[in-house]
Amino acid sequence: MLVAMSGGVDSSVAAAMLVEQGYDVIGATMKLFCYGDDVPDRPCCSLDSINDARRVCEKLGVPHYVLNLESAFSRDVIDDFVAEYAAGRTPIPCVRCNTFTKFRDLLRKADALDAPWIATGHYARTRNGELLRGRDAGKDQSYFLWGIDRSVVRRMLLPVGEMTKPETRDRARALGLTVVADKVESQDICFVPDGDHAKIIARRLGADTPSLARGPVVLVDGTVVGEHEGYARYTIGQRRGVPGGFSEPMYVVGIRPADRAVVIGPRDALLGRGVVASEMNWLVDALPVGSPVQVQVRHRGTPTPAEIVRMQGGEIELALEEPVAAITPGQSLVLYDGERVLGGGFIERGGAAARMTLPVLAA
Amino acid sequence: MPQPVYLDHAATTPVRPEVVAAMEPFYGPRFGNPSSVHRWGREARAALDEARERVARCLGAKPDEVCFTSGGTEADNLAILGPLRSQRAKGRTAIVTSPIEHKAVLETVHHAARDGVTERMLGVLPNGVVDLSSVDDVVDDSVAVCTVMWVNNEIGTIQPVPEIAKAVKARGGVMHTDAVQAFGKLAIDVKTVPVDLLTISGHKIGAPKGVGAMFIRRGTQIDPMFHGGSQDRGRRPGTENVAAAVALACAAELAIAEHDAECTRLASLRDALEEGLVARIPDAVVHGRGAPRAAHILNLSVPGTDSESLLMALDLAGVAASSGSACQSGSVTPSHVLRAMGVRPELAVAAIRMSLGALTTPECVSRVVELFPALIAKARRLSGVA
Repeated sequence: MLVAMSGGVDSSVAAAMLVEQGYDVIGATMKLFCYGDDVPDRPCCSLDSINDARRVCEKLGVPHYVLNLESAFSRDVIDDFVAEYAAGRTPIPCVRCNTFTKFRDLLRKADALDAPWIATGHYARTRNGELLRGRDAGKDQSYFLWGIDRSVVRRMLLPVGEMTKPETRDRARALGLTVVADKVESQDICFVPDGDHAKIIARRLGADTPSLARGPVVLVDGTVVGEHEGYARYTIGQRRGVPGGFSEPMYVVGIRPADRAVVIGPRDALLGRGVVASEMNWLVDALPVGSPVQVQVRHRGTPTPAEIVRMQGGEIELALEEPVAAITPGQSLVLYDGERVLGGGFIERGGAAARMTLPVLAA
Repeated sequence: MPQPVYLDHAATTPVRPEVVAAMEPFYGPRFGNPSSVHRWGREARAALDEARERVARCLGAKPDEVCFTSGGTEADNLAILGPLRSQRAKGRTAIVTSPIEHKAVLETVHHAARDGVTERMLGVLPNGVVDLSSVDDVVDDSVAVCTVMWVNNEIGTIQPVPEIAKAVKARGGVMHTDAVQAFGKLAIDVKTVPVDLLTISGHKIGAPKGVGAMFIRRGTQIDPMFHGGSQDRGRRPGTENVAAAVALACAAELAIAEHDAECTRLASLRDALEEGLVARIPDAVVHGRGAPRAAHILNLSVPGTDSESLLMALDLAGVAASSGSACQSGSVTPSHVLRAMGVRPELAVAAIRMSLGALTTPECVSRVVELFPALIAKARRLSGVA
């Protein structure tokens, strides 16, 4: 049993529970990136997290290894992250990290060690080869896991998915894992420690890259109403950084890399009645067109009833029963049936119905 | 679980029981400060002076030519940076080194280079030995310090330090050698080899971590790295670590006394290990093969494998080895030594260093000869290499 350990409370408790259950546990921490000199008070290579994971394993009496997956992570996750922002989209690197890094590359390491199972500290569950939402609705992380290979689900163990976050912390204290029990949870993307993703884009593409260059803020009808400092700093639905002085609050409703425009509009202009996603991955047998499902277009979003209206290659289009705000290209579309995760894809655009209200996204 | 096998003596060695016993009084009644005038101080001072004499004898040096340090890294830093000021005053502005040095040397040289010193690299042959024909290209009258290790810590190759030292001395430069892996494995006598500075480390020879020593030939001008009292002739201020100095002296004497027998024993074990592995894995590449090598290090790569996975599999089977170079996080990074030798990257990432020593027995060797090929076969099956 290979347990992916970040040094945080969730994966530490996961490892401890599996040890308790009698599994032969091997802890592994992935070294994925270096902060370099940008974050002076954090040691390079996420060293603190690695040390915490090592100490937890030492306490559990199981071996711990550091796996260097830096170059694969850089290629599969960070390159894509930067390219997506450059394309005016809003990526979720965690999805690709789960798909490629944890449940593909790390799985290969598990194979090399004869470990039939791989465990993580995700708040999600598996049952009979299917992926389910985590028990704690507030912590559920199934939204990030749609991209893994279906055959891998049978090899996954997600012990904390049965618990709530407070239960996990209590468990950590009860197990004596004082190193991690009260660790503050980071909301940042791991390789963007200070939340400033523009810094990563600048480092990869240069500070003068178009997505970080000044451009116009325009209304849906094309009227220029202001300037911005780089469209990569914006995401659909955002209000911060949007000029005021309108009769109603304005939101970012579109990003157009071609002329570096950030398009703003009232709340109504954010609503979509359809959605198109690519790279559709099924975690159950693919459903036919016409099937009713629930969809989620963002982490912690409310599931919305929808119907599959088109499937073509890896692309899927759904009609939404009620309008959904801020359908954002680059985010994930995840299909659910209650607590079962059916599959998902990357959002390309609002779908046919949405085109009526959001002409800009079709441009 | 079968008896664990420790094949990482180049990383560190267990402290010898004789050494523990020799140190003990200095953690007990003989706790004095060697600089104090009273009886306790005199006692400590006597022990320290005696330790210095004993280490000096082990190197063929005079007692005042031995300076105790916190270990190999400090000694390497002091050896490279210490002579720079006086050398630069004479217009000598270049440091010569090789690309296969330990990081303690390479990073110190890079540091000096950022301070305006010119950095010059000797060539390295594909067998892991510094190319003597490159010496004349880089050693001239502007050399301040030349630093070349005696035995490479990753692949065990013996470097032509005496020859390089002669060339450097002929041009008036200061010659340093990091002999951390060489001490106890090669006969070292500073009376016959014209080095000015030489580094040894305690924990590679059965003394504890945190102690090393540097030979500083009389007449070599060294600026201290630390500032404070006049301990060790001002070369190394700070209250001396008497217990550690005694430990180093004790371990060094034992290493010298056992040198011939132990080197013969290790060489035959190493050869058995190497031959056994190569016979079972015919395409295994032994780095430094054919070059003169110290008896205790074997470094090999098997195509189609990677060291990270192999080291884990070995550890899970109770065998401790190394890839030769580990990052602070404990993760495995490709070796700069193998890169400098021109080893192909896909082979360099598969390097496994096995280093023998006090804990190595014929049983250890046969166990690894048995086990390793099976792990290799599995790794190759997974990577799709036949």
